[in-house]
Amino acid sequence: MIYAGPLILGFVLGFVLGTRIKEDPESKLKFGASVYVVFLIVALVVAYLLGPFPYYLDVPLASGFMACAVGIILGKLIFGKPKALGQIED
Amino acid sequence: MSTILKIFVFPAAMVLMCLGVLTILGGHITPGGGFQGGAIIAAGFIFCLVVYGLKESPFNLSHDFMAAVESIGALGYVFLGIAGLIFSGFYLYNLGVDIYSIVPTFIKNIFDYPDPTHAGIIPYLNFVVGLKVMVGLSAVVIAFLGFREFEENEEEDQE
Repeated sequence: MIYAGPLILGFVLGFVLGTRIKEDPESKLKFGASVYVVFLIVALVVAYLLGPFPYYLDVPLASGFMACAVGIILGKLIFGKPKALGQIED
Repeated sequence: MSTILKIFVFPAAMVLMCLGVLTILGGHITPGGGFQGGAIIAAGFIFCLVVYGLKESPFNLSHDFMAAVESIGALGYVFLGIAGLIFSGFYLYNLGVDIYSIVPTFIKNIFDYPDPTHAGIIPYLNFVVGLKVMVGLSAVVIAFLGFREFEENEEEDQE
């Protein structure tokens, strides 16, 4: 059985963190889709190794961990636009 | 910083942040909680800031964002406490658990955390403390990096 509490709070926190991913267009280093695919695979492995934390009863994955990983990627996709050229944030 | 570090650190920081969130989520029944989880998330931000620098860091924490999240964290804690005061007469009374059976059932259901432990408002308190600590610790490092950049620019101007 999956519990709603860690899924919702984990997703919300992950989403907030994901919205902050804004790459600098002037930077030489680019993070493409492959970085996020690798992140998702690593997150899946780590969640499996963590086990059904923190409730020890539900699915064999750490559900809060996965919810956060999905939240980060969705937050990046929805709000994480690259900074405009020369933009300095307050 | 070396190219290997620059490639490795961004995904590693995201995994670190997920671990911090998990620490916050398990705070009411396992070691950890809002402060520890928030510190782990801040470590992810700091990891990126140290390797990429303030300007090129992929995680961009603006002043407005930090002010908003810090305020939400502090006000959330205070409002959860005041809700206890209003409905039970005790500041920070755990309304979702209602040990003394003094709050109406519908209030208890609103503050009940949906998991097998039914810990009431404790996970929500961990959540808001986590937000506040995450932003607070990150702000210290951002300020230090900003001061250094400012000093370097000033030295260049003098030369």
